[in-house]
Amino acid sequence: MLEGGKINTRQAIALMVTMVLPTAFLFVTSVTGHLAKQDGWISLLLSIFTALLIGWVAVNLSLRFPGKTLFQYVELILGRWLGKFVAFLYVLWYIHINALIIREYGSFLVAAFMPETPISVFMLLILAISAYAVRNGLEVFTRVNEIIFPLILVTVIVTSALATPEMDLKRLQPVFVENGPVPILKAAFMPAAWMSEIVMLAVLSPYLTQIKDGYKIAATSTLITGTFLIISFVGGIATFGPEVIGGWLFPALNSVRVIHLANFLERLEVTVMVVWVAGALVKISVFYWAAVLGSAQWLELKDYRPLVLPVGIILFATSIMLHDSILDLFVFLGTAWPPFALTTFQGGFLLLLLAAAIIRGKVGKRK
Amino acid sequence: MARFVKPLRARQFGRGQSNAGHSGVEEQPKENDYSSQDLQSLDLSADLQTNLGQIKAILSECSDVIYREFDFAQDDRIKLAIIYVDGLASKSQNSDQIMRALMLDAPLVEERVEFTRERAFTLIKKKLLTVHQLDETNSLGGVIDAVLSGDTVLLVDGHTFALINGTRGWEGRKVEESQTEIVVRGPREAFVETLRVNTSLIRRKIHNPNLKIEMMKLGQVTRTEVALAYIKGIVNDKLIAEVKERLERINVDSILETGYIEELIEDNPRSPFPTVFHTERPDKVAAQLLEGRAAILVDGTPYVMTVPFLFIESLQFPEDYYERSLVSSAARLVRLFALLISLLAPSVYVAIITFHQEMLPTSLLLSLAAQREAVPLPAIVEVYAMEIAFEILREAGIRLPRQVGQAVSIVGALIIGEAAVRAGLVAPGTVILVALTGIASFTYSYSSSLSIRLLRFPIMALAATLGLYGVICGVLTILVHLSTLRSFGTPYLFPVAPLSPGGQKDVAIRAPWWAMSRRPRLVGMNNLRREAAGLKPKPPPTRGKQ
Repeated sequence: MLEGGKINTRQAIALMVTMVLPTAFLFVTSVTGHLAKQDGWISLLLSIFTALLIGWVAVNLSLRFPGKTLFQYVELILGRWLGKFVAFLYVLWYIHINALIIREYGSFLVAAFMPETPISVFMLLILAISAYAVRNGLEVFTRVNEIIFPLILVTVIVTSALATPEMDLKRLQPVFVENGPVPILKAAFMPAAWMSEIVMLAVLSPYLTQIKDGYKIAATSTLITGTFLIISFVGGIATFGPEVIGGWLFPALNSVRVIHLANFLERLEVTVMVVWVAGALVKISVFYWAAVLGSAQWLELKDYRPLVLPVGIILFATSIMLHDSILDLFVFLGTAWPPFALTTFQGGFLLLLLAAAIIRGKVGKRK
Repeated sequence: MARFVKPLRARQFGRGQSNAGHSGVEEQPKENDYSSQDLQSLDLSADLQTNLGQIKAILSECSDVIYREFDFAQDDRIKLAIIYVDGLASKSQNSDQIMRALMLDAPLVEERVEFTRERAFTLIKKKLLTVHQLDETNSLGGVIDAVLSGDTVLLVDGHTFALINGTRGWEGRKVEESQTEIVVRGPREAFVETLRVNTSLIRRKIHNPNLKIEMMKLGQVTRTEVALAYIKGIVNDKLIAEVKERLERINVDSILETGYIEELIEDNPRSPFPTVFHTERPDKVAAQLLEGRAAILVDGTPYVMTVPFLFIESLQFPEDYYERSLVSSAARLVRLFALLISLLAPSVYVAIITFHQEMLPTSLLLSLAAQREAVPLPAIVEVYAMEIAFEILREAGIRLPRQVGQAVSIVGALIIGEAAVRAGLVAPGTVILVALTGIASFTYSYSSSLSIRLLRFPIMALAATLGLYGVICGVLTILVHLSTLRSFGTPYLFPVAPLSPGGQKDVAIRAPWWAMSRRPRLVGMNNLRREAAGLKPKPPPTRGKQ
């Protein structure tokens, strides 16, 4: 067994939420607010439905091949050669998406907190800690997440609550009429791409103690993530209004900046940094783990640990080379990425795989 | 002794097959020498003088071994000899219960029974010796072991068996109040250096036949007695098997303290965090046993180890369970907060002063800046210097003779406090911070505070280079490390990660006893329920009707 760990349903839900929320929390408000203005919450609702659908596909597919990860069962569906090819693409995909996450992470820290520090310092440090976690297996970063997860939720709730004096819900009006359906649909793409990272369940499912809880995990974690995204979006819009929000890179940071309490609790941006760094550690670890596990299964190795270092080096190099600047990265994430992700690895491919599995009679009536 | 102690060779430290008595010690036979292996297989001869000669050869140059040869009563056909170590065996017991019985009281029995050389052994054993504990052995090794552990061996001429009289009685410390783990409410007694006294202290708390205490001998040279205590039916059998296996694997020359064993059996030998708990309080050990843990006692030290050890136990103290639950819960939270302060306060201070001045309210920032204006050193150097000064003082405080200790700590406090500030070397804020950090590290378990103290320094370096981001990375690394740790198979951060909702009753808060009806899940999984349901006290039903 490559990965000996098993995680229970509660741990999996927490892991899936932390895998999506911290990054989405920081970026989604801006993009959605930019495109859909005050109606962005409708886009978020739409994206929740999309993510639920994709989560359903991923879990349904996994339940047909219990005990196998995505990288293994594509071979069963598509045959050895084509399967190997697709599995390889998925490994590349996990490296690509993780490189983007690492880059986002570094860019945020450089832009928002420490502009004079080279970005590679941040990326190397977080990669080193992730590598340590990944080397020790799924159970370890799941346990780390069990401590981080409540901290993230509490921080989001408390900072939102503290910012309420500055909020004005009238800024959410008028609903719908001003923008119309097209911007709302457009704005739904990015959060949907983010939340459909739930596809990770297709890799994770063999390591769940209760495999049948897959649907529950997908639905619960998507709903929790969605709720928190909507809270943060509504809070942001109610505080600043859609025009201002759309122009910022990190609206969540500004939402926290407005907090003034008793002339002592102010400038709480550092809490955002804490949540962000801690959440990013878990997120990067999960994707890192998927990439490492995937390559080990693709190469049919007995142990994935020798691959941790090489994959880490590839991740580091890729994350630096992929984009020239933070603007380049954000334009890519805001425009090209969501349709690409949704039509291929985080949606389209899975639908095709599911269809192929059904057609090729791999159903086998096994649950 | 030189012949008995044979030099240890590297190849002996392999994984040795253990013999039935859990002694776990194997020795290679060596020609022309009485090594332990030889002795165990060497039988006693029927001739008293031969036996004595052999024993004297083995115990040559041991000036504290006493040989006393005498005749049985008036009958000089039956020759006897006792051997014991002066100072280890109780002399009064020897003279009253053995020699007096055999030399003077024997005629009382002899009147009715006919003594012959052949029957002497059985009769001495059954009718004459008045010692409480009596064993026999037919090997030379058994004799030597018994003598060296304080028993008195009686050799009877013409018999190949020796009688081992339990006469252990040496000078030891009395059971006193614990020096290092002090409580306001709760029992005060602490373990001592004698293993038997320690087991009795545990037995006195748990009057139950299921409390098992297994013995073994560890250390090829020291032959130290080690006891494994657990409560059958509560403890997980797999845990006991695992502990035994790890103990039997130990093959070293000496065990002088539980720390020797701790380092040889722990799960993560390179971790700065302790994964084995030790205490000198019997009530603590009893509570641990009742939660399903195993205790390891070592002769010669008042510290008893218990496994598995979870990180949360650093914050749990016996008094929590004796005081009212609300008060104890508040104390827990204080300790948790103090733990964070002792790990992070200096580094957060350095990070904020160096990188994130904007986080402070203006008035506080101004006051800090005014303090630091005259200070010539950067914040990190200042804090490092003060922390190291504090560590030196603390170390000196432990090592100094009691008479000068007081004076030195007062002078030290003045130096790092008042004088350093007056001289403009450090800011008053730094002194407050370092003092707070130092004091905070005494609020939770000592062995964990040692690790936290150590980890404080690298995090300070991170804070000085990367600001709060460095601090966060440091904490996350520690968190990942803690998550990788296990103590005898139990995740170190249990019951927080993996989360056990029921286990939260004894983490940040200490729920009332009537609510803690179950043992910690992963520790006491063999027998979870520890009290009946519905124990919450209620007002008597008659009250409403009056």
